[in-house]
Amino acid sequence: MNGPLIIVWVAVLILGYFVWRREGPRGLRAGAASAAGISKTLVLRLPLALLAASFLVQIVPIEPMSRLIGPTSGVIGIFIASLLGGLLPGGPMTSFPIAIVFIEGGAGIPQMVGLIGGWSVFALHRLLAYEAPIMGWRFVALRLGSCLILPLLAGLITEVIVAVTPLG
Amino acid sequence: MKIAKTDIVFFLLASVTGGICYARFGADPVIDGTVKAGILLLEILPQLVAGLLIGGLVTRLVSREKVARWLGGASGLTGLMLATIAGLLTPGGPFTSFPMVYALWIAGADAGALIAFISAWSLLGFNRLIVWELPLLGVEFSLIRYAACLPLPILAGVLARWLTRWPAFQLKSPEAE
Repeated sequence: MNGPLIIVWVAVLILGYFVWRREGPRGLRAGAASAAGISKTLVLRLPLALLAASFLVQIVPIEPMSRLIGPTSGVIGIFIASLLGGLLPGGPMTSFPIAIVFIEGGAGIPQMVGLIGGWSVFALHRLLAYEAPIMGWRFVALRLGSCLILPLLAGLITEVIVAVTPLG
Repeated sequence: MKIAKTDIVFFLLASVTGGICYARFGADPVIDGTVKAGILLLEILPQLVAGLLIGGLVTRLVSREKVARWLGGASGLTGLMLATIAGLLTPGGPFTSFPMVYALWIAGADAGALIAFISAWSLLGFNRLIVWELPLLGVEFSLIRYAACLPLPILAGVLARWLTRWPAFQLKSPEAE
């Protein structure tokens, strides 16, 4: 058992208690059914995605790219990293295993925050598959316009955090 | 069991990457990659199950209608802050969050609140932090990243309100799109 695992299961118990107090066993069953519904869609996809990510990191030259976004690469490194992040395919199940390889390959922490930020905000795959069909292109334009600088800002704030705190 | 299009995409992705890996480096890296992926799967499974349960329980506690009411209309910075909190609490993938954004839009939330909501979901999503980021990227990195991203959704909301002064960025009514 590790820390995060204990935290999540405590959260499950607390939320479960609130649902039980409001709706009784019926609410708990409905909540579990909703969770089971999502897990059904993941049961095939998740192992395949992990497998694909595991193969991908072996064939993509991540090490030279990691050097490009090393701890001393500064603002330009953060910028490159956030663009790279936007190109990472799929949800956290594919992109985070790739991110691990970047970290192990020697990428800097502010640059990695930029990379995850770029993946969160730009997410090309998500934009094409969900956002544009549901919300329309005007919304996509407005969101990209409003969020363009966020990954860069996140990286720069991280530079400050790493510099002034013992973290990092 | 139902096989969706996305499953086929991931199957093809795994086959193609595995095939290239085999063609370039032989069988060992393919076996190695498969074992690593299996170990990773076992490691994240207990947290994944908990995350899914949290998502399911939260849907019992917070209804879509309630979220829409809190964010409706011109709501100022308070609205952006509420949108940020709602967004970071929204569990699930884009197939849950974008329909929620659409619901908020119809309910009368303004562009700034919508952008703050979706930015908070994507940058600060609590469910993703617990299920994926903490186990895969570690506590220290996750905390630093989270702290650095904390003020950004509100900033994006303010920027969105500012951008809608130009016609190209003005959202039409939901029905017109």
